[in-house]
Amino acid sequence: MTAFNDFLRAVRAPLGAITLTLLLGFLLVMMITDQPVLAYRDLLLANFDSWSNFGLFLNRAMPLALIAIGITFAFRAGVFNVGGEGQLFAGAITTTMLGVALAGLPPVLLFPIVIIGGIAAGAFLGWIPGVLKVKLGVDEVVVTLMLNTIVLLFTSYLVNQVIRDTAAYGAVSQLVPKEIWLPSLPGVPKASSGILAAVVLAVVSWVVLFRTKWGAELRAAGTNLRYAEAIGIAAGRRVIGAMLVAGGCAGLAGALYVLGIGHRFEQNFSPDYGLVALTCALLARIHPIGALFTALFYALMLNGAAYMQISTDVPRSLVDLLTGLLVLLMTARVVISRRKA
Amino acid sequence: MVLESFLSSVLEQTAPLLLAALAAMITQRANILNVAVEGMMLVAAFTAIAVGGATGNIWLAFFAGVLASVLASQLLSIMTLKFNADFVVAGLGINLLAGGATLFMLERLYNSPGGLRPISFPELWHVPAGSLAFLPVIGPVFEGQSIVVLLALLAVPLCWVFLYRTPVGSYLRAAGEDEHAARSAGIRVDRMKALAVTISGLLSGLAGVQLAMDKLQFFLPDMTAGRGFIGLAATLFGGGQPWMTAAAAFLFGIFGALGDRLQAFDIPSQFILMLPYAAALLGLTFARWRTVMRNRPAKITE
Amino acid sequence: MTDPQNILELSGIAKTFGDKVALKSIDLAVRRGEVHVICGENGAGKSTLMNILVGIHKPSGGQIRFNGQQVQISDPIAASRLGIGMVHQHFTLVPSMSVAENLFLGRHPKKFGLFSDRQAMVDRARALIEAYNFGLDPQAAISSLSVGQRQRVEILKALAFDAELLILDEPTAVLTPPEVEELLKIIATLRERGRTVLFITHKLREVKAVSDRVTVIRHGESVSIHNTADVSEADIARDMVGRDVFLVGRKGDVERSFGDAVLKLNGVTRTNAAGRRLLDAVSLEVRAGEVLGIAGVDGNGQTELAEVIAGLSTMQAGNIWFDGADISDMTVAERQALGLGFVPEDRLDRGISKTMSVAENVAATNYERANILRRGFVSSARLAEFAAEKIKEFDVRGAKPKTPIGTLSGGNMQKVVIARELEREPRLLLVSQPTRGLDIGASEFVYDRILASANAGRGVLLISSELSEIFALSDRIAVIYSGRIMAILDRADADEVTVGALMNGAGKEAA
Repeated sequence: MTAFNDFLRAVRAPLGAITLTLLLGFLLVMMITDQPVLAYRDLLLANFDSWSNFGLFLNRAMPLALIAIGITFAFRAGVFNVGGEGQLFAGAITTTMLGVALAGLPPVLLFPIVIIGGIAAGAFLGWIPGVLKVKLGVDEVVVTLMLNTIVLLFTSYLVNQVIRDTAAYGAVSQLVPKEIWLPSLPGVPKASSGILAAVVLAVVSWVVLFRTKWGAELRAAGTNLRYAEAIGIAAGRRVIGAMLVAGGCAGLAGALYVLGIGHRFEQNFSPDYGLVALTCALLARIHPIGALFTALFYALMLNGAAYMQISTDVPRSLVDLLTGLLVLLMTARVVISRRKA
Repeated sequence: MVLESFLSSVLEQTAPLLLAALAAMITQRANILNVAVEGMMLVAAFTAIAVGGATGNIWLAFFAGVLASVLASQLLSIMTLKFNADFVVAGLGINLLAGGATLFMLERLYNSPGGLRPISFPELWHVPAGSLAFLPVIGPVFEGQSIVVLLALLAVPLCWVFLYRTPVGSYLRAAGEDEHAARSAGIRVDRMKALAVTISGLLSGLAGVQLAMDKLQFFLPDMTAGRGFIGLAATLFGGGQPWMTAAAAFLFGIFGALGDRLQAFDIPSQFILMLPYAAALLGLTFARWRTVMRNRPAKITE
Repeated sequence: MTDPQNILELSGIAKTFGDKVALKSIDLAVRRGEVHVICGENGAGKSTLMNILVGIHKPSGGQIRFNGQQVQISDPIAASRLGIGMVHQHFTLVPSMSVAENLFLGRHPKKFGLFSDRQAMVDRARALIEAYNFGLDPQAAISSLSVGQRQRVEILKALAFDAELLILDEPTAVLTPPEVEELLKIIATLRERGRTVLFITHKLREVKAVSDRVTVIRHGESVSIHNTADVSEADIARDMVGRDVFLVGRKGDVERSFGDAVLKLNGVTRTNAAGRRLLDAVSLEVRAGEVLGIAGVDGNGQTELAEVIAGLSTMQAGNIWFDGADISDMTVAERQALGLGFVPEDRLDRGISKTMSVAENVAATNYERANILRRGFVSSARLAEFAAEKIKEFDVRGAKPKTPIGTLSGGNMQKVVIARELEREPRLLLVSQPTRGLDIGASEFVYDRILASANAGRGVLLISSELSEIFALSDRIAVIYSGRIMAILDRADADEVTVGALMNGAGKEAA
């Protein structure tokens, strides 16, 4: 019973912020269109109209969930990781490069190589701000923001100048070999099975964070670094470790996107997944399983907006606007609850 | 001539960075890490182009742009100071909201999600060509620069005077350095922070206006492209001191201008665009490294 | 109904923060021109009361009369306009600014209506410094001043605005004994010049030395008022605690035998970036079963000493030995594994993580030892069980295993820290300022545990700036001054005069 009450208390604030944002959005929609109910129905429910819609919805949720789960580790270790986008791109481009370059290898070998490559590239990008913060005290927010831009420019160079598919329109790479594409989710043909990795990782992350000594040490380092040092925790290593996990998760998201959804690298494949995932993690109050659900919610909105735009004259960028509103609103909550805790 | 035109483009590249850096600096002195400079710039840029295109009036466009940014700063200050939101998160919220709102309006009002390009757009005041011919080097560098560039240069000493030579500036620094001390001296710390955020909004607005109105005269989604963050890096790099921050902004501006020159060679444009970001990253790391080295315990010399 | 003799009268002042009652009902009458002490335990509500008097907090109930008029004190500026000046326990000076700028913070003189008149500030500051003979440079940055000098700036800040009533909040906590003497003289001067002084302290000796009258508060209520001359220290102590107080102490007359040295420092030296020696060739040893007290005024190297021994900071010369093994290059964890227990000086800084639960704080270093891991994973049932045991054993009040530790009182947090460190059964317990900010009840408990540890054969290194604590617990007393050990005395040979002098660098040099 108390567990249930704890649960209610935990989800009250995020649900409040979401409700308030959706209400504000509804007011806005009412001003634009004379079919506000239809617009909102499509925004929230059109994802379930067909298996195909549902599959696309799961595909949208996968990178968000994975990055958000990773960011949970960073936040729990006291690192404000805004670098999800760069880490995601690093993972995606590395997987693509390896897949294209080593296309001749047998799939049993190639598949793990490209996955590990993607994870390692993301982890490396997480490692940089982690090390700079621990060793020199460089502000991680600024570092990750700078790295995002640098990585995006770098991938733009690679996809345009190095592995571009000249037959295709836009900045896209050659396809990775079909043999290493992820199978689709059983029963949902359009959905890549990558979402399963997100579900599994959410649970594993919860166990690691809250049921292992390593997780307890990481959280100690994140809540009070000087305390963690004083009780003999290698606090700096925990912080860097958390950033490796955060970057690794985002890198995995990039890898799975390429293998399961895009099958190639596309420079514009991400509607700012990194920043939206940060929002998901914060909205879930830095809880990995909660982050899975907030990611699903966001995916619902992101895809729903497209259906809404088709059926009514409400532009899909309504969702970007709502995201901004939600971030503004929810932080008030997060801080208050952090102070109480 | 090569030198002059290079310096001229340095000045042009630096102006928005400098204003963004000063915007971040003022809030930094009130102990606020302000990532919202980026979003406020974007709001100002969009408003300036929209109003300028609609009215054809340059000053209306200019002030509307700055005002929009100041309004965005007020939203930030209400969310953080009144509702205790975290400054970094709320700042990112402002950025997302700015991106979303401008895109929403492009789609809704102009039906052109790609950007906003008014057919005719009024000109900002520029230093007339030949008017400074009597000054060697300096003259040609300043000729053709917009009034906002001059304002940006003027803003550096103004910020210094404000912070170090006025009572309110002192109180603002006190509020940022030691809240407890400031509060017990009767300084309203929240008001000082609100003031810092407002000034930051003003300066960010100028930065955005310069970016959109000076040469380009159009608006693109996400046209600020991280300049607000570079400004933030310049502030951290310059330790929150006006002159050092300005120097850092110029350094990043030089890299930007250098990038434009290098485009003539066979270097992919992406690497050139990367330069200011990489410079900011390395510069910041180097500044911290020096501090750490300086604070190491001294070796014992017998 | 008001007595014209009184400059300040409080009746029934109450203050609540949310559902927490800080002050129940305070009555206070301060006569013009007297030195009045408010005395109470940590947590009795002294600081809240002071913050109400200077307008930082607003009272939830009651009346304040100043010079016979009922007043509302809305903010510190209003207080200083009335003539109430405050010298805070934690200095309210901005380190990067000059003495003059700090004196006029919040009320800079202006020129041309817009700019700060810096010359006027410096001139007026200099005049003030000379008037009270405080020997300060008005243009020196606060960060370059000593603690005693900073306190003088604080006092000047209040005097700069003609404070009739000067409130001093625990002003001696940070001073050396001679600096305390100096301060008491300053207070006498202020009284001669017709100022009224309200002095807050929990040190009974100061009450007797300085005051005309004393008001004692306990649990947010004023419980008694006395002419200081008419009461003894014991009377005041009884009022403060509400019962008779017997702080346990080491009995000096019992013959004791100690084991071999557990901890040995040899020439330990630590420098700062400027090359100043924060620890200068410190050599000492702690034997099994012994309490070695390190006496000294705050800021003379105690923090650095604790950190170097714990392994949290490097030293530039010297060696540390633990049970005969050189641990100079070992990590914190390795030292703890050998048997070092560490109770840091500032609980909130290094002792606990406020937002984590009591259970996670007490278990932090004890997962294996307390059998909390099951096949590598934390058993939350066993974690709660372990925490519950410790909460009971160490009498941690108001806590369940899942309670965030930050919501507990200082004393209960300290009990959790001690429980965690003792669980390891350390060979040496390093305790730094163990009762700082604790009430008497919790202090008794802590004393008890420290002595029990020594009796159980552990070595104890006790670092404290409370001389009474050092004398109550130590078998030997080392005095630290400016990073040097001035002398190491047997408890039997030490008296407060000698130790006090050594704390100020007097006496024999440890050349």
